Amino acid sequence: MKHPVRLQVNGRAVEAQVEPRLNLADFVRDHLHLTATHVGCEHGVCGACTVLLDGAPARACINFAVRCDGRDVRTLEGLSCDPVMVRLRAAFTAEHALQCGYCTPGMLITARDIVLRLPDADEARIRVELAGNLCRCTGYAGIVRAIASVLEARLSEPSEPSEPR
Amino acid sequence: MAGTAHKGVGASLPRKEDARFLLGEGEFVGDIHRPGMLEVAFVRAPVAHARIAGRLKPAGFEGRVFFMQDLDGVAPIRAVSGLPGFKASDLWPLARDKVRHVGEAVAMCVAETRAEAEDLAAQVMVEYDELPAVVDMEAALSAPPALLHEQWGDNVFLESLVDGDLAAIRARAEIRITRRLRTARQSMAPIEGRAVLCEWNGRLGQLEMHSAAQMPHITRAGLSECLGIDQGAIRVIAPDVGGGFGYKGILLPEEVCLGWLARHLRRPVRWLEDRREQLTANANCREHHYDLTLHADRDGRLLAIDCEAIVDSGAYSLYPFSACLEAAQVGSILPGPYTMEGYRCRTWSVATNKPGILPYRGVARTGVCFALEVTLDAVARAAGREPYEVRLLNLVQPGQMPYDNITRKHFDSGDYPEAVRRAVAAIDLPKWRAAQATGEDAGTDMADPRGGRRIGVGFAVYCEQGAHGTSVYHGWGIPMVPGREPCAARLSPDGILELRIGAHSHGQSLETTLAQVAHEVLSIDPEQVRLVHGDTAMTPYSTGTWGSRCMVMSGGAVAQSCTELGERVKAIASAVLDVPPDALQLRDGGVHVRGSDRCLSFAEVAHLFYRQPQRLPPTLEAGLEVVTGYRPEVDTGTFSYACHAVVVSVDTQLGHVELLDYVIVEDGGTLVNPMVVDGQIIGGTAQGIGTALYEEMPYDMQGQPLASTLADYMLPGATEMPPLRIEHLQTPSPYTRFGQKGLGEGGAIAPPAAIVNAINDALAPLGVELTETPATPRRILAAIEAAEVERSGSGTHA
Repeated sequence: MKHPVRLQVNGRAVEAQVEPRLNLADFVRDHLHLTATHVGCEHGVCGACTVLLDGAPARACINFAVRCDGRDVRTLEGLSCDPVMVRLRAAFTAEHALQCGYCTPGMLITARDIVLRLPDADEARIRVELAGNLCRCTGYAGIVRAIASVLEARLSEPSEPSEPR
Repeated sequence: MAGTAHKGVGASLPRKEDARFLLGEGEFVGDIHRPGMLEVAFVRAPVAHARIAGRLKPAGFEGRVFFMQDLDGVAPIRAVSGLPGFKASDLWPLARDKVRHVGEAVAMCVAETRAEAEDLAAQVMVEYDELPAVVDMEAALSAPPALLHEQWGDNVFLESLVDGDLAAIRARAEIRITRRLRTARQSMAPIEGRAVLCEWNGRLGQLEMHSAAQMPHITRAGLSECLGIDQGAIRVIAPDVGGGFGYKGILLPEEVCLGWLARHLRRPVRWLEDRREQLTANANCREHHYDLTLHADRDGRLLAIDCEAIVDSGAYSLYPFSACLEAAQVGSILPGPYTMEGYRCRTWSVATNKPGILPYRGVARTGVCFALEVTLDAVARAAGREPYEVRLLNLVQPGQMPYDNITRKHFDSGDYPEAVRRAVAAIDLPKWRAAQATGEDAGTDMADPRGGRRIGVGFAVYCEQGAHGTSVYHGWGIPMVPGREPCAARLSPDGILELRIGAHSHGQSLETTLAQVAHEVLSIDPEQVRLVHGDTAMTPYSTGTWGSRCMVMSGGAVAQSCTELGERVKAIASAVLDVPPDALQLRDGGVHVRGSDRCLSFAEVAHLFYRQPQRLPPTLEAGLEVVTGYRPEVDTGTFSYACHAVVVSVDTQLGHVELLDYVIVEDGGTLVNPMVVDGQIIGGTAQGIGTALYEEMPYDMQGQPLASTLADYMLPGATEMPPLRIEHLQTPSPYTRFGQKGLGEGGAIAPPAAIVNAINDALAPLGVELTETPATPRRILAAIEAAEVERSGSGTHA
C-alpha cells in the first residue's frame, strides 16, 4: 500500500505516493532522478547518502520517505550555487580530496555542515566530525586539508564570494 | 621544456575529473535508468556447504524466477591456470548441484523494483542437504571434514614448490628463527559495490552491459565464453566506477546471469550489489598462513628463507586471475628486496567453503611483507641489533642494480638502503628510544606491571613489481596475458586530442595524468585532451587496470601514439608552410618553424586536414589518427619500493593502539603527477592500516560469515589516520618512457608489517610478540595475558 507524501526537495514542492519501506535515498534517486546522492551501505554507516534534512545532515538510506512528509530535503544538486559549496569544491580539487568520487557528495554535505557550524574547528575536530563518512580512496588527508583551508579562508575573509553565473 | 614543465610530466596538475564529481554529475551504473528496466535480486545460499535437494518457484511467478537449469546454453565460469597440477573448478552462475559458500547465488528473481524482487526471492524454496563445512585452511589440507570438489580427491587447487638445498646453510646458521603467522581474510570494500545493467540491442544484435568493472575487455571475453555468443555481440561499458582495489577485476556470476536475462526477456535488467552481498557473498582476499624460518649469521645477515605457506582460496577459481595467484605470488616474491644464498618455499592454494579470492591492492605482497618483516625483527632481536641495521645489512645495494634476485625477479633500479636511512632519520629513532628508556612521553605507568601505555617503533620495507608484462604473465597460464598496451590517439577536426585506452580509471586520475603525458610529448594543453576509456566499443583491447600498470603501460602507449601523431602533424604543416619537417618543432600547443614566428596551432592543422584537404598535396596519406601498442624495453616490470616507519603507543590494559607518527620514504621513479602519487600512497596506507588494526572477515565453525555490515567489518575512518609524512626518492626506471614506475598498490603493502613490528617493539619487555593481523585489542590482550601466564608458570590466568 502506498502513502501520500509532500515535501520540499531542493526548494521545489514534491508530491508522491510511496511505499512505506521506500527510503529517502532511493526516493530521491529513483523517483526524482537526483543521483548525486549515492548509496554505499544502506545501513547508516558509510555516509555516502548524506543529505540535508531540515538543514541538518542526515543519512538518506535510513530515513524513510514517508517520514519526510512536510520536511525540507536538500541534496548536492540543490547546493550547486551555495557559496560555501563553491569554496569547498575549489578546495577539494586543490587538496586532491577525491579520487573515485563516490563518497564525495556525502563528504561535501558533511564538510559544509562543519564549515558553517564549527568555524573554529581544528584538524582533530574536523576528523571527529568526519567520522560518519567513509572514504576508501584518499585516506582522508586531502578532505581534512580542504575543509581546514575553507575554514581558514572564511576566518580571514568572512564575506562569501558572489554566486556563480 | 621550461615553458611547459608546469603541466607535463612532474607537474601536480589539479584533476580534470574532479568537476563532475563535485557537482554530483558523475555517472555510476546505479545512476543509469532505462525505460522498462527491471530489477534483479538473488536467492543466496544460507549454508556454507550443501547439496541442493530441491527447489521450487513461487506459484504464478515461474517466468520471474530462474534456476541454473533455466539458463539454457550458459556455461560455467572456469578460470584455469597452466601451472602444473592446477585443478580447475566450475563456477556455475547459479548453483547447480551443490552450494559451496554462504551467499552463493542459487536463483535469480526479477521484478519492477528491487524490493519486489527481494519479496519474490524470499518466496523461493530451496532444500539443502547440509555437508560439513571446510572453514580452516590448515584443516582443509591435512584433515578435511569434507571435499568441496569431490572429483579432486583433496581440497587443493595447487601445490607448488620453489626448491633449494638448505642443508649446508642450516648447519652454519647461528640464528634460526621460526614463526607461524596468519593474516585475516579481508573484503576490499570499495564504497560503490558491484553494479550491472544489461540490455539487448536488437538493431545491433548486441548485448550492452554497463558494469562497475576495472577490466571491461576481459569481462567481455569471459561473458562471451559463458554465454556462447561472439565478442562482437557484446559491448561492456564501465562508466564512472566507485573504487576498485581489485574487487572489480573479475567476471561475476551475476554478470553472466544478467547477460542471459536481458537477452531472454529483451528488457533492460539491473542488479546493484548491496553491502551485505559484498561482504558475505562476493570475493574476499588475503587469508594466509605461514610457517616461516629465517636462517642468519650472528650479525643478522640473512642466509636463507625456508617457508611453507597456505592461502585460503575459497570455493572457486575466479576469472581471470584464478585461485592460485596469491599462493604462486607468495612463492616468487617472499624474498622481498633482500639478498640471500638459499631459498625454499612450498605453497598450497586451498579450497574452503568461503567465497573465492581476488587480488586486492598489493595482492600477496601485504601478507608476504608482514610475514617476512615481522620475522626479520625477531632475527634482529636475536642478533641484538636495531631492526633497521639488520635491514641495511640485507637489502639489495644500489651498486648491484639492475639485480636478479634469488627467485630471478629483475629489479630495475633504486637505492633501498637510502630509503631506510632516511626513514630512520625522519622518524627520529633516537628520540623514541630515549622515550622508551625513560618512560617519558609514553604515559608509562611504573606502578602497572604491564607498564601502562608503551611506545614502540616499527619499520618495514617492501618492493612492488608493477606493470609486469607478457614474459611474466604467460607462464601462469591464466585466461589473461597482457601484451602490447594500445592507445589510439586522434585529433578531432577542431584540434581536440582524443586518447582511447583499454584500461580504466576509477580514482587513479588517468584523465589528468595521461593528458599530462600528451602535453609532455605534443605540448597540447591538457584541457584540450579527452580520455576515452571504459567501453569495449570505443577503445582498443587491453587487459585493463590491475597490477599498478596504467601509468607505465597506458602512459607509455599515450606517449608513443602522440609521438607518431606529432610526426603526422609535422608532415601536414611541412606541406602547408613549405618547410622540411625537421625545420618544425612542437611547442605551445602547435607546430612552429624553428627560428621564426610562423606556426600552426593543432586546431589549424586539424582543420586543414579534415576540412580543407584541397590545400594538401594528394600524396599525403597518413591521417590524424594513430594506434600503437607499447611495450617497455624490458617487460618484467618496474620495482617501486618504500620504507615505512611508524611509532605506536599501546595501551596494555585496553589493548588499544594509537599511531603517533608515520613516515614513508618511497621511490616510484619519475613521478608524473606528485599530487596524485601522494594521494595513492596515503589512500593505500589507509587501507594498510585497516589491514593492520581493524579489518577482518571472520567465519564461524559452520562457515557463516560474521561480518555482514560495515559496523562489523570496520574500515578506517578519518580519526584512525595518523599524521603521515612522505619523502620521495626518484630513481628512474631505465626501461620505461619517462622513468616512471607503477606504485598504486604500495601504500597498502607495508603498514601491517610496520605497525605490528612497532607493537612488538613496544611489548617486547613483556615477552609479547604478535604474529597475526589485524592487531585488534582482543588479540593484543590475549598475547599479553598468554605471556603473563608463561612467566608465572602455572599462573593465575587459567
